[in-house]
Amino acid sequence: MDPVDLPLDEAVRERYINYALSVITARALPDVRDGLKPVQRRILYAMYVNLRLTPDARYRKSAAVVGEVMAKYHPHGDSAIYEAMVRMAQDFSLLHPLVDGQGNFGSVDGDNAAAMRYTEVRLQPIAIELLSELKQQTVPFRPTYDGQHSEPVLLPAQFPNVLVNGVEGIAVGMATRIPPHNLREVIDACVHLIDNPEATVADLAKKVKAPDFPTGGEITSTADELLAVYTEGRGAVKLRGTWEREQKGRKHYVIVKSLPFGVTKSKWVAAVGAAIGERKVPQLVDVRDESSDEMRVVMELRGAEDADAAVAWLYRQTEMQDAFHVNLTMLVPTERPDVGAPSELDLRETLRYWLDFRRDTIRKRTEFDINELQRRIHILEGYALVFPILDEVIRIIRASEGKRDAAERLMDRFGLDDEQVDAILELRLYKLARLEINLILEELAEKRAAAEKLGAILSSAEALWGVVRSELLDVRKQHGVARRTVLAGQTAPEPAYSEHAYIVQEDTIVVVTQQGYVKRQASVTGVEKIRVREGDTVGWALRASTVSTITFYTNLGSAYTLRVDTIPATNGFGDPIQRFFGFADKEAVVAVVSNDPRQLPAVDPTVALEAEDAPHPHVVAVSAHGRIARLALAMFQDVSTKNGRRYMRLEEGVEPRDVVVNAWVSVGTGHVAIASLFGNVLAFPMAEVSVLKGAGKGVVAMTLATTDSVFAVEPVLDPKLGPSVYTALGREEVVTPARYAGRRAARGKNLFKRGHFAVWKRSPDIRLGKAAVGPTDKEES
Amino acid sequence: MAPPPADYNAAAITVLEGLEPVRKRPGMYIGGTGSEGFHHLLWEIVDNSVDEAMEGHASSVVVTLHADGRSASVVDNGRGIPVDLHPVHKKPALELILCTLHSGGKFDGKNYRTSAGLHGVGSSVVNALSEEMTVTVRRGGFEHKQTFRRGKPTGPLVRGAEVRGTGTTTRFRPDPEIFGVLGFDGDTVRERLEVTAYIHKGLRILLKDELKGENSEFKFDGGLRDYLTLLCKKDDRKPVHPEPFTVDRELLALAGTDKESTVRVECVMAWTDGSRERFACFANGVPNPSGGTHEAGARDAVNKAVRTYIETHDMQPRGLVLTADDIREGLVCIVSVFVADPQFQGQTKEKLNNPEVKAVVDQAIRQALEGWLNQNRTAADAVVTRVIQAARVRVASRNVEDQIRRKSPVNNRLNLPGKLSDCSSSDADVAELFIVEGDSAGGSAKQGRDREFQAILPLRGKVLNTEAGTLEKVLKNEEISNVVCALGCGVGRDLDVSRLRYGRVILLMDADSDGHHIATLLLTFFYRHMPKLIDAGHVYLACPPLFRIDVGQQAPRWAASEVERDRIIKKLPPRSTPEVTRFKGLGEMPPKTLYETTMDPKKRSLYRVRIADGRRMETEQLMNDLMGKDAKPRKREILERMAMVDELDAFAG
Repeated sequence: MDPVDLPLDEAVRERYINYALSVITARALPDVRDGLKPVQRRILYAMYVNLRLTPDARYRKSAAVVGEVMAKYHPHGDSAIYEAMVRMAQDFSLLHPLVDGQGNFGSVDGDNAAAMRYTEVRLQPIAIELLSELKQQTVPFRPTYDGQHSEPVLLPAQFPNVLVNGVEGIAVGMATRIPPHNLREVIDACVHLIDNPEATVADLAKKVKAPDFPTGGEITSTADELLAVYTEGRGAVKLRGTWEREQKGRKHYVIVKSLPFGVTKSKWVAAVGAAIGERKVPQLVDVRDESSDEMRVVMELRGAEDADAAVAWLYRQTEMQDAFHVNLTMLVPTERPDVGAPSELDLRETLRYWLDFRRDTIRKRTEFDINELQRRIHILEGYALVFPILDEVIRIIRASEGKRDAAERLMDRFGLDDEQVDAILELRLYKLARLEINLILEELAEKRAAAEKLGAILSSAEALWGVVRSELLDVRKQHGVARRTVLAGQTAPEPAYSEHAYIVQEDTIVVVTQQGYVKRQASVTGVEKIRVREGDTVGWALRASTVSTITFYTNLGSAYTLRVDTIPATNGFGDPIQRFFGFADKEAVVAVVSNDPRQLPAVDPTVALEAEDAPHPHVVAVSAHGRIARLALAMFQDVSTKNGRRYMRLEEGVEPRDVVVNAWVSVGTGHVAIASLFGNVLAFPMAEVSVLKGAGKGVVAMTLATTDSVFAVEPVLDPKLGPSVYTALGREEVVTPARYAGRRAARGKNLFKRGHFAVWKRSPDIRLGKAAVGPTDKEES
Repeated sequence: MAPPPADYNAAAITVLEGLEPVRKRPGMYIGGTGSEGFHHLLWEIVDNSVDEAMEGHASSVVVTLHADGRSASVVDNGRGIPVDLHPVHKKPALELILCTLHSGGKFDGKNYRTSAGLHGVGSSVVNALSEEMTVTVRRGGFEHKQTFRRGKPTGPLVRGAEVRGTGTTTRFRPDPEIFGVLGFDGDTVRERLEVTAYIHKGLRILLKDELKGENSEFKFDGGLRDYLTLLCKKDDRKPVHPEPFTVDRELLALAGTDKESTVRVECVMAWTDGSRERFACFANGVPNPSGGTHEAGARDAVNKAVRTYIETHDMQPRGLVLTADDIREGLVCIVSVFVADPQFQGQTKEKLNNPEVKAVVDQAIRQALEGWLNQNRTAADAVVTRVIQAARVRVASRNVEDQIRRKSPVNNRLNLPGKLSDCSSSDADVAELFIVEGDSAGGSAKQGRDREFQAILPLRGKVLNTEAGTLEKVLKNEEISNVVCALGCGVGRDLDVSRLRYGRVILLMDADSDGHHIATLLLTFFYRHMPKLIDAGHVYLACPPLFRIDVGQQAPRWAASEVERDRIIKKLPPRSTPEVTRFKGLGEMPPKTLYETTMDPKKRSLYRVRIADGRRMETEQLMNDLMGKDAKPRKREILERMAMVDELDAFAG
């Protein structure tokens, strides 16, 4: 046969839509009425009808069920069927497991169930509430995939399973995520809706307050947030694990009693363990999983007061706090009894659909029962008719040619129909005893009364709803359990989370090299022992606490501040400073200050405070063009952005551009000693430098000739000391206040007419405090 | 070889005296007696003068190529060759230096720390190979002069007139007995001198070419930086960052010998928009065209420094591997080292061999380069961008290469996926490829097919959705890449329909929803990445039966549609009770039946997939909506269609 042309878009559309609809209507979404996906429904049906695995039956191998389901109803892989069944047996997956499993059915630790040749199953009592009315022809059936058998389109659920057990599924273009709910609450909401058909979602949400997860935990969403979820049919429910304190001897513990639904406990414990190993939570010392049949994860605390901080960390940084994203998408009934259509529902619609279904089911059941009764009554009426005239009946039978003939004669004689005559002819002789005849008459009366009673149910909507209501309350009584997930709501105290609390507080030494490599070391035995790259030298080695900060002042007038604990602790070369900040081209560090209060100079009370809003200590900087700026150090002590903060505005547009030559911390005492490139030297008191309120150009430190620039500048406390500079010819000059004291902004003393300074011998800034410092866990903050 | 003479004794051993060995075996000393060797004589003398300059004793070198075309002179303003008597040899040092191999001031590292000449053979070799050589030394206030012929002094050293300053003038004429009729080439000399001037920042070199009557002067205060600019200009490439990287350091090296020595490393480099890397390497001022240990060190350094920078600053692009070649692409790098004891491969100094130099160069450049990158963010960003771009280009071009390789007929059969059951025929006009869902159905198809012209390729599970994602990512998917391999016609832009190995590519899927899904996924792939196959009408959909009709003990019958099913049932004898079942999977059918119903060209029905004219836009839109990333249009389409589909019974599966 010649091929037929088929346009691509048609081919794809037809096939894709077919696939999508199939997944939506027959794979991934539950029906609002029984809350089951097809695979679940088929498993339950096969267990109940084909294998009769009722709760009182003996367990049977899972493989038998899987085989039965696969062969007759579900033409897919065996593992998919088995996994679906296993889930229905897990008490941590379903609030009310439908399958009663014997053997290893997995655990919250993520263990898989044993293979299906080992495990055994039967139905849980509550599953019978989904199945028992099948025999009363309450639900439509359809042929199975191969046309060999028939299967129910849905199960006659006697409670709103869709909300009670919940379900998750991903279809095409849509998905569903329905959390489990407490059976009592859901039935209370149903009853409320029966009694008040106009009830709103808000009314119903007072009954169904929140999801109820089999794994417990606590919900921290507020009532308003939950109402929004139930109104929209979508939204997040905030969920977290529960815990309590425990003390044994001198040790204190946090005991985690539950985790959010769906969290794999073993992975969570491993993650917490790893964090403890990396010292990310100093409050925690150890974690042990002591769970048996109930969850008990033991976290050993560093001290009794650490519980809140530890839990705050667990909430913030681990899956112990989680959100469940609700999406109430499910299949709702259509005109065609065998097909559902996907729809996003709210709480009221969900209950409405279910209740209407329940009412219809009860009506069908009642009709079926009445029908059965009527058939029995009909036969009993036949008996009742012939018993008073038994002798004649017997005579007619004896005179007849055979069964058929007898039947016809009896019908002719007494106006009975086929059915009644048949029943009469099948009667056993002992039934003719007087007592037996009375029994039949009693039964007739009984059945008539029963039929009447059932008829009353059908006679009015109210009566029918009354049955729905009372039966629901029966289910509630029989299967209802207390809520497992605590409603913490707004009252839930959120332990304060502060990043600060999780830094391991210890003393450390921050090392910065001339080339800008930064690292920290726990201890330093000697500056010469610090590892630096060949050709590099240690510029600064400063004591600091991991909870304090460190500020880098650069030649371009920017100050960058880093938390000390973010500096890599290493015995290697460290990281380039540019890794932490966005340095400009050629930007280099001229001063480093540890903001650890213990490392800052003590404020001299005899020195007057120059500016009230700029308290000591100050940072002082001198630029090549001879300006000096003095500002409060406090402005630069908090962690900065990558772009840093400006501390000095440098003259622009003049070549070579102005740069900061040196910067330091000052408490207003001592002198500033300067040597210019071409040999002018000057020392003036620090106190002559006024304090700026913010980054500025500063004031003139030394008046320079046009081509001259500041070559060296240092703070000097001892008047006999000062910066040590050398000329190109090797002549040394020490700029001491004792010899070169002057006023700020002076020209200073000229030391030579020709040549210039070539070398400024700066000693590295080493402040190791006392002897080498080891880690101290809890000194002072 | 001639047999040794009978009286092979001590008397038979010849010891070549003085400079005789040089004249006997000139190639050993200057690499040959061709033009290169000829010019080498001049380089030796120039290098001597430059060595003086390197030590800071000379500032200019004047080279004159004389009018005869064969003689040259070199004048420097250095210290002048010593002329006093040597304490042991009782001869003037000048004569010793020029007439004795292995004599000179460059052995003990005292007078010259680094130099080009090293074996003390330089000037003496030139002397030996010169027809005539005159050396004039200005030193100690006097001029001293001595003349040599073929390595032997023609007279004693003569003290001449009083002069100011110091310096050495060497004039020589290479011996035609050795070199024949060769002469100096002005251009060669000029080029070499220019390079020399670049390496020795600030050194003034003057070339007087009397033959041409041209004078050239070279003096570069920027040194290697100027040379870098020149190289970029020559190659017509631009640096991607304004300032080149420079380093000039002297580091301790542990030489192979017991003594420590220092190595001076000078390097200038820049990344450019050019596509090649270019290294220019010099050892002690001598170009080493074949590189050597300094080049190797520099390569390592660049590689490591750039990698460290990228890692430190978390700039590594995800999913992209940077190779050393990527890092050096477009790099122009000039390395000049000064080593105390240089070892070259060949007397022409092709390549530097000092093993210790590699580590020193590596260390010096790596540290400085890391620092430079960190301190010059703008430049560093430009470099990293350049490197990543190189890697991207490489990956892209390699993909193209892969595809080309896949297309080549030699590899064609060898590259076929293992799962493919190929057919005997290689004639694309008759050959067919069945792409079959799952191994179960694949087995049936394989056994049932006509192996003459029908090939089977089973796929496992769902194929990747190729609507989104690059071709590169798509081809990583094994199933897709198997399909591409089997078809043999390339993919994407390289698709060449004429190379298609099968004229009919037939998708044979189960008639259930998952089969439909796989068919749409495959059609998406063909549409996105092999659209020409669809345009040329090579893509087909098979029509496996939908129903199975069993009657008693008879063999089951199959119907591809409801109409056909009803027709079959009607034809049955009146009393029979047919059992109709929906057909599930291809694996359900015996191979023979599968062939008869679905694969036999005489009986089967096929759909040929085409893109309908005038519906290209709609088709594109639909593919986007149904297969694209955004779920909203897909949902809309599904809900719209939901009401329209009748075949809902089919979903029961």
